[in-house]
Amino acid sequence: MTTDWKHQIKRLTDKGASYADVRYYPKEKEDALFMWNGNFLNFNRSELSGFGVRVLVDGAWGFAASSNLGDVTATFDRAFENAVSAAKRVGRPIRLADKELLSGRFDSPCEVDPFEVPLAEQVAFMKELDGYLNQPGVEQRRVQLSTVNKTIRYYDSEGAEIEKHIIDIFPSIHVSAFDSEGVQQGRKYLPPRLGPTRGWETMDRDHWKAEAERIVDEMKTMLSAPKCPEGRMSVILMPDMMFLQVHETIGHPLELDRILGYELSFAGGSFVRLEDFGQLQYGSKKLNARADATLINSPGSFGYDDDGVKAQDQMLIKEGILVGALTSRQMVTEANDKAGREIFKSSGGSCRACAFNRVPIERMTNINVDPGEDGTLEDIIRNTEQGVILSGEKSWSIGSNREQFHFSTDIGWLVEDGVKKHIVKNCAYSGMTLDFYRSLTAVGDASTWEVQYVDNCGKGVPGQVMQLGHGVPVCRFDHVKVGE
Amino acid sequence: MRSQQVIEKLRSLRQYALEQSEAVEIQWDAEDSHMVRYANSAVSLNSHEDITRLRVTVYGDHRQASSSQVVDFDDMDDMKACVDRAIGMLPFASDMSYQPTIPDIAETTISEASYDPRIAALTNDEILAFVSEAAKGLETDDILLSGNFSSGITERAIISTKTPEVVYWRASDVGVTLVLASEKRKWEVNAEQFVAKKEDMDAKALHDRLAWLVELYNTKKETRVPEQPYRVVFGPAALATFVEFLGWIGYSGDSMKRGYGMFQEDDIGKQVMSEQFTLMEDPALLNTFAQPVDTYGRKREKQALIDRGVLKSFVWEQSSADEFGKEATGHDVSNLSIELLGGDVDVKTIQAFAKLPRDRDILYVPFMHYTNIVNPGEGLVTGTSRFGALLLKQDGSIELPYNVRFTERIGRLFSEKLVWLAKETVPYGSSSHYYGRDPYATLVPALACFDDVMVEISNESFG
Repeated sequence: MTTDWKHQIKRLTDKGASYADVRYYPKEKEDALFMWNGNFLNFNRSELSGFGVRVLVDGAWGFAASSNLGDVTATFDRAFENAVSAAKRVGRPIRLADKELLSGRFDSPCEVDPFEVPLAEQVAFMKELDGYLNQPGVEQRRVQLSTVNKTIRYYDSEGAEIEKHIIDIFPSIHVSAFDSEGVQQGRKYLPPRLGPTRGWETMDRDHWKAEAERIVDEMKTMLSAPKCPEGRMSVILMPDMMFLQVHETIGHPLELDRILGYELSFAGGSFVRLEDFGQLQYGSKKLNARADATLINSPGSFGYDDDGVKAQDQMLIKEGILVGALTSRQMVTEANDKAGREIFKSSGGSCRACAFNRVPIERMTNINVDPGEDGTLEDIIRNTEQGVILSGEKSWSIGSNREQFHFSTDIGWLVEDGVKKHIVKNCAYSGMTLDFYRSLTAVGDASTWEVQYVDNCGKGVPGQVMQLGHGVPVCRFDHVKVGE
Repeated sequence: MRSQQVIEKLRSLRQYALEQSEAVEIQWDAEDSHMVRYANSAVSLNSHEDITRLRVTVYGDHRQASSSQVVDFDDMDDMKACVDRAIGMLPFASDMSYQPTIPDIAETTISEASYDPRIAALTNDEILAFVSEAAKGLETDDILLSGNFSSGITERAIISTKTPEVVYWRASDVGVTLVLASEKRKWEVNAEQFVAKKEDMDAKALHDRLAWLVELYNTKKETRVPEQPYRVVFGPAALATFVEFLGWIGYSGDSMKRGYGMFQEDDIGKQVMSEQFTLMEDPALLNTFAQPVDTYGRKREKQALIDRGVLKSFVWEQSSADEFGKEATGHDVSNLSIELLGGDVDVKTIQAFAKLPRDRDILYVPFMHYTNIVNPGEGLVTGTSRFGALLLKQDGSIELPYNVRFTERIGRLFSEKLVWLAKETVPYGSSSHYYGRDPYATLVPALACFDDVMVEISNESFG
C-alpha cells in the first residue's frame, strides 16, 4: 500500500494542498475482559482497520476517514473538498512549524505480546485474582484486563514515513461494600509501571496477590472507619492520587490548543495565557514538571507523534515557573504569532489522534513531576503536623479553565504530630489550582516516585479517548480545604 | 431501499452463523458523520467519517463471548471473520452464574421516524451559512466564535440465529453548539440546538440567545458572588445533566444491584422526590431520537419511572435481568427517551424570566461543566457553572457572576430544594459519544428553580 498512499498525497498537493498526511491502521486489536463478581460481563475482542487523511488548503484543515479500503481516492478527495470549504472562513491561516524530516520506526518495549498469550491463561489469571478478592465482607469485586496491539503507518507530503507498533496492557482490580451508614466504600489497584516493558511479562502473580490482599484489608477497615475530618489541613497525596491531580491541573491546562481557545466549545479553556510563559509562578519552588514522551514503559510514549515529530522530554514547570506547554506544529506557530515573540522554538511532539477516524490534537504524553529532596513518605509524614494522606482517585470535577477542582479519594489516613494514625473514609478536597501548587511544601524522593497510567483521558469533538502516563512522587500541600 | 439492503446482508451473515451451529447475535451499526468545528472565528476542522461497525455475540451454556470490528460493509468475508472470531473465543469464556438470553426477535421492524434525508444532504455551504446567520453581527476582534456543527446519519440493526427477523433503526440528527467568548476577559456564552429534522434547525433562535447574552456580558458588571446558599434557576443543559445522572445512579436496576444506586428496591412506592417531579420514559418522543423497538424486538411502551415524586420502577436491561433474576423491562436501547415533565410556571426563556419581578437575588446557571459523582449511594454530585451564568438581582438589575461550584445531593435537589418547574420542555442532548455517533436528547423544563443551593467555591475572575 505504501506506493498508493504516497500517490494519493501527491495527487492532493498537485491539486493545491500545501500539506497532506495519512495515518493508515492496517490492524488494531484490543481485548476487553471484564469480570464482575466472577461473571464475565464483557469478553470481547475487537479489530479495526482504516485510514484518516488530513489536508491543508489555503490555511484550513480538511479531514476524512473511512474503514473502506475499496475507495481510497474518494476519501482523499473528500478531505480535500472539506479543506477547500473550510478555507472560506479562515481567520489566521494555519502554518505548520518546521520539523526535522524523519522516517523511522517505533516499537514499544514488550517481551510477551498479550495476544500471543492463550486466552485460557489470561482467564485463569483473572479468576485467580478474583479468588483473592472474594473474601468475607467484600460485596462487589471487579477484575479488568484490557490489551492493545496496533500498527500505525504515517506518511506526509514532506516525505516522512513512520511506522509505529504499540503493545500495551491495562489491568485493574476493585472491591467494595456498604458501610454501616449505607455508603459504598471501595478500594482499587491499578499497577504502576514497575519494569522497563509494556507486555504480558509485567503481570507478576506474587505482586498481584499481595496487592489484592492489601486492598481487601483496607476496604474492610474503611467499613467501620470514622469520616475524614473537615477543615483546612495538609494533604499528602500518594502517587495513585497525585497522578490525577497532575493530569487535571497541570496536563490539561498546558495543552496549547486549549490555551489558544480551540476547545472552548466543549472541553474548555485554560487559565494560562500566552504572556504567562516564563513568568507565571505556577507553584512553589519545589515544583518541577515535565512532558516526557521518552519514558519507555509508559503508554504516553509513542516514538513519533501524528505530526511526524519525534518524541521529546521537555520541562513544563521549572522551580515553580511556567516554562512550557504540550504543543503541535500548528499551535506553536499560532502562539508565537499571537504573542509577538518566540515562546516555542518548535513542536514538542504532543499531537496525537486516538484512532484512524479522529484528527490529531494536543494530547498529554507522560506528564511527570520530578522527585524532590524531602525524603521518603515516612520523612514527609514525620514533618507533618496535621493532615491526611490520600490515596486512590474516586471522583474528579474541574473548572472549565482548570482554575479550580474537587477530588474525592478511596481512602485516607490521618496524620497528627508527625505520626500516621487510623484510616478515614469519605475523603474529599478542593481548591484553586495556583493556590494549591503554591502551597506545595514537600516533594518525595525517588523512592516515592511511580509511573501511573491513564487509559481513558477524554478530549476533543468528536470525542477521543487517549492513553498516557504520569510519573509522580508523594507530595504534600498545606492549608487545603478538606471535606465534602 | 437502504433498510432492505441492510436486512438482506444481515440475513446472509446469520445464515453463515447458523452453518457454524452456534447461537449468535449480530449487531450492526453505521454512521455517516459530518463535523464542522469552529475556533477563533474560523473553521478549525471540517471532517467526515464513514464507519460501519459489527458486534457479534455468541451464546453458550452459561457463557458468552463477543467480537467487534470496524468492517467494510461490502466485504462479506470481513464480516464473517468477526463471526468466526467470536465463536473462537467462546470456549475460553468462563462459566457465569446465570444463563444470558439471546434476542428472539418475533417481527421485523423498520423505524425511521427520526430520519430526514435532507440532513444527510446538508452541504458545506449550507452549514457555513447557518452558523454565519446564528452569529451575525456578534463577533468582534475580541469576541470570537467557537462551536461544533455536527450532522449525520446513524443506523442500527440487530438479528440473531433464533429468527430471521431484524430490528432496524435509522435517525438523522444535527447538534449545534455555538460559543462566543471574550479573548481578553475570558467570559464565554453559548447557545445549543439538537434536532432530527431540517425544518427544526433555527439559526434565529440561536442568534437571539447569543445576542442577548453578549449584550449583557458587554455591558453589565462582573462580580464574585459570596460563598453562601442561593436560589438558583437552572437552564436545560444543567437540568439535563442532573436528570441524566438519574439514569446511572437512580432508576437503573443494574446500578442499584451493584451498589451504585441512590435508591434501593424497597424504595419502590415511596416518595423519593418532590410531588412536582415526574420522570417519563416515552418512545413516542421523536425529538429524543427515540428507538420504539428494543434490541430484543420488544415494542417499547410509555412508562413513568418516577410519578409525582414516587419511585415507580427500576429499568432492567436483559443482561442485568438475567443476572439478578428480574424481568427485563424493554429498555435494551442505546439511549432511553426520558422526559422530566414540565411544571406550572409559564416562562419559556431566561430572557422572559429576567424581566419578571423577584423578591431576592437569583443565580441563573445554564450549564454545568464536568459534573461528576462524588458518592453514588448518596446521589452526591459536584460541578461548576459555565457559559453565561447571571446574577439576577432583587432590584431588577443583572450582574455577571464568575463561575461557581456546587456540590449537591440530587435527591435533595429534586425534593425539598425544588421550587418550581417551567411548563414547556425542551430537548437537550448530544450527537456522539467518544466511540461513535449516538444521537440522544433528554426533554427537560426550559427552566427550573431551586432554593438553598450552596456555592462551595466562587471564582475570582472569568479566567
